[in-house]
Amino acid sequence: MNEELTLQQAETLLAPYNKETLHPEPNRLDVVVTSDDLHAAVTALHDAKWGYLCAITGLDNGPEANQMEALYHFAQDSAITTLRVRAPRSAEASVPTIADIIPPAVFFERELHEMLGFDVKGLSDSSRLFLPDDFPADLYPMRTDYKQDQPVPVVEVVPDLVPDEPTKIGNRFIVPIGPQHPALKEPGHFEFTVDGEIVTGGRMRLGYAHRGIEKAAESRNWFQNLYLFERVCGICSHIHATAYCQGVEKLAHVEVPARAQAIRELVSGLERIHSHLLWLGVAAHEAGFDTLFMYSWRDRETVMNILESLTGNRVHYSANVLGGVKFDVNLEQIKTIREGLDYLEGRVNHYLQVATTDAMLLQRTRGIGTINREEAELYGLVGPTARASGVVRDIRVEAPYGAYTTFPVTAVTDTAGDLEARMIVRLKEMLVTCASLRTILDNLPVGDLTTRMPRKVPAGETISRVEAPRGELFYFIKSDGTENPARVHLRTPSICNWTSVLEKAVGAQLADIPMMIAGMDPCFSCNDRLVTVVRPNESHTWSWRELRDYGIEHYKSSMNKGK
Amino acid sequence: MEKTMDETIVKTNNMWKQVLDQVQGWSRLNSPWAVHFNSGSCNGCDIEILATLTPRYDVERFGIKLKGSPRHADVLIATGPVTRQARERLLRVYEQMPAPKFVVAVGTCSISGGAFLGCYNCLGGIDQVIPVDVFIPGCPPRPEAVIDGIVQLLTALKSGTYKAPQKPLVVQENWL
Amino acid sequence: MNILSSLFALLIFPAGLTILVGGLFYEWIDRKLVARLQNRVGPRWFQPLADIVKLFSKEEIEPPTMTAFLFFLLPIVAISGSLAAGLYVPMLGLKPSSSFPGDLVVTLYLLSLMTLCMGLAGWNMTSRFSLVGATRALTQLCAYEAPFLLALLGPALAAGSWQISEVNAYASQHWMILTQPVGFVVALIGLMGKLELPPFDAPEAETEIVAGALTEYSGRGLAFFNLGKSVELIVGLTLVSAFYLGGINSLPAFFIKTIALLGLTALLQTLLTRLRIDQTVGLWWRYGAVLALVQIGVMMVWR
Repeated sequence: MNEELTLQQAETLLAPYNKETLHPEPNRLDVVVTSDDLHAAVTALHDAKWGYLCAITGLDNGPEANQMEALYHFAQDSAITTLRVRAPRSAEASVPTIADIIPPAVFFERELHEMLGFDVKGLSDSSRLFLPDDFPADLYPMRTDYKQDQPVPVVEVVPDLVPDEPTKIGNRFIVPIGPQHPALKEPGHFEFTVDGEIVTGGRMRLGYAHRGIEKAAESRNWFQNLYLFERVCGICSHIHATAYCQGVEKLAHVEVPARAQAIRELVSGLERIHSHLLWLGVAAHEAGFDTLFMYSWRDRETVMNILESLTGNRVHYSANVLGGVKFDVNLEQIKTIREGLDYLEGRVNHYLQVATTDAMLLQRTRGIGTINREEAELYGLVGPTARASGVVRDIRVEAPYGAYTTFPVTAVTDTAGDLEARMIVRLKEMLVTCASLRTILDNLPVGDLTTRMPRKVPAGETISRVEAPRGELFYFIKSDGTENPARVHLRTPSICNWTSVLEKAVGAQLADIPMMIAGMDPCFSCNDRLVTVVRPNESHTWSWRELRDYGIEHYKSSMNKGK
Repeated sequence: MEKTMDETIVKTNNMWKQVLDQVQGWSRLNSPWAVHFNSGSCNGCDIEILATLTPRYDVERFGIKLKGSPRHADVLIATGPVTRQARERLLRVYEQMPAPKFVVAVGTCSISGGAFLGCYNCLGGIDQVIPVDVFIPGCPPRPEAVIDGIVQLLTALKSGTYKAPQKPLVVQENWL
Repeated sequence: MNILSSLFALLIFPAGLTILVGGLFYEWIDRKLVARLQNRVGPRWFQPLADIVKLFSKEEIEPPTMTAFLFFLLPIVAISGSLAAGLYVPMLGLKPSSSFPGDLVVTLYLLSLMTLCMGLAGWNMTSRFSLVGATRALTQLCAYEAPFLLALLGPALAAGSWQISEVNAYASQHWMILTQPVGFVVALIGLMGKLELPPFDAPEAETEIVAGALTEYSGRGLAFFNLGKSVELIVGLTLVSAFYLGGINSLPAFFIKTIALLGLTALLQTLLTRLRIDQTVGLWWRYGAVLALVQIGVMMVWR
């Protein structure tokens, strides 16, 4: 099989550094390397263009084993090579950084550092990524001896009505901003250094929606965790559930019936449509076009209705159970779905026309934030953001899972790599999804909806990769044979795409930043967004709303000045 | 003679006061401007709140407008189990709102922490931080439920059965 | 007697209370039209009134400012400017209650007073992001003021007078939308910019009132600014429709023409996101300003 060849290739490349080889699953190769060899091993894979870095998982094997592991997962189509670096569980467990070879690794390494306490040597930015700044410095939540309910001091806050201080020349100050818009925005704190109107540098702070889900998963059983992982994200809840179920089913050697797989794909497709329509409305709102926002969300209600009639809920469908799906699709529902799909196709074609011909929208999207193919691969982008730059990165195509082997989809790509391309890719994906849903409805396999799942899942490790609306979703699940998982590590797609904004922000106009961020369709829960604009003489923090309005204003006044 | 004059003046004043109060009450019922805050939720509730603005539900009919600045708002619509990072901001937003103000907690997470109860980074509900007037359960609640919750608040205000909630206890050290 | 009647005109009719009520009514029409175009239902007829009354009954939080009394003064000046501007336009189809040669300039200045006050209000706050919002408000003012003025100058020159009532009388015989179409378009878009209607940032949409500048206002101050905007709406509409849509001399004419214009702006508010503008508008401004100037030149020569 192709997979075998690919893995053999990897094994050959890694031969000089190979301390031990494991094959936890047919499509996976685990190679144990020392932390000194890590850099060379990664370079070997990178230079041979073997796959791309999916995620870096940290494992704590416990005080008795006195061992922690850092797992570097590389994927080439459906084959996954994992470099395992073992380190003692002391405070000085260290690995070198690989961010110099693979820039997006910096986010994964920051997470590795703050969650498990790995000392990543050479990490350019070791500030907090997910955890709050006031989290005690020597507490690592993902260590096994960190008890979830152990007390963590909360800094007492005295809210005052004088949140601001006068600017001092050359000093930075933060203006605490209340929540802004209802429009969804990622909870990132951005810092952009500007020179006049041009951005010269960018930084980002995440973590406002960090809830500690991975840790919570370890104290709940496999079935309870399904409920938990659905709620990682409200917009793409089904795909999280699917990724989790798939992984656990693999560990338990359970085969899900064909009808259930098809229904899972059906709900996935509907979710993709709802997510892209949501994004369209939000992006339109970011650009200042509320009418498009209203229209697209009105059309989205069609999908919500379908999902509700199928699953019983508009959001958090809970369609999956471990081993299958909860509900069946009857003829009447199929009819409703078909009607809905017809309507949606018409609307999406209309939006496609708007996106490619509306001058005002084009002004905000054409030629903005352009990322070419090499850059997309270098930055490790995933999802529509990557596909708009010509990189065919779509798990449904590269590593088909579930019913995608029976009901394949084509990946939609574009070559322009700018915001307009990203918009077009998402719109076209909706059309492709509608077509594929019709095919599924025409050929729904007959059979059971579920199959039996053991209460205790056999020990092992598995990797589950699926294609969420925003890109590749990566789940690493480890079981030690009990009722609770030993470790679940999930890497959401949006974290891979942040580099696209930060790198491209440099040299861009400040007024384009809101659209660029919207263009990557961030999927974190919305809190508020702080943007620090650093100018040579002073810096102050803008609220997201201000940056957004700044962008809108900029384009309007440039129109009026006869740009 | 004077006594009746005084009485009349007092009565007229009272009448005026009543009228003004009624007008005030009417305007507050019919123009509840809202500000939305996400304290770390999964976004599910937020998209349903956002959906209330869209043509299918259109809360502008009820006078509800989503404002960006807390200073312009009467109602704080909050979601999420309150992560540590969000706590300070939530307090700030609440303090910035001018009186009279009300808080609506949307979603199971904002009531009890929901699926995230016990997670190390979550406080477990909006009412751990600010006093809440309306709890709207659901995961997420439908937009109709959100609207219904707000309408219930307004009805309570109108009929005079509204009681201000207790302020939450000040968060101590080692709160978990 | 003069003073009393002036006061009556200023406070009750046709300015003052009348414009306030009229402004709220027009604000409702605008919001309702936009909502319907966006496929929604829209607010109830008394909504703007409820909004204003509610704002008046809210606690007014005084944020930290550089000059405290400005915080209270600026909203009052803003609405006074708009109300005073209403004295010089043919409100409700009646003759303007005050009229003197050159009152066109005075009216335009009074109409800009609102934005100036917002800019000052934002500057007055110690929080720097209000300043940014204020700067943008004032930048927008500079962008729209000149074309708007030029566009109103055209009819004034055609009528040979700087006095609104005379231009109105002249316009009754000449429909200048036909003789100066470019001027009309420029005036329309300039009006939308002045009133900060979307896509020039609406006060009543989800977005803020000129982002930042008014963020710190609550209660009474905010109510005054909002009221001032509604008044500006009706006064601005009256002015532009009087000049271009054949003068306003009767009550029905007033309602028909101003509401027609309002309908047009509502349409543009929702449609302008779909029309081809970008560079085209840039060119229009150039053409518009140049053509307007050319028109003015031609008229001067012709007279």
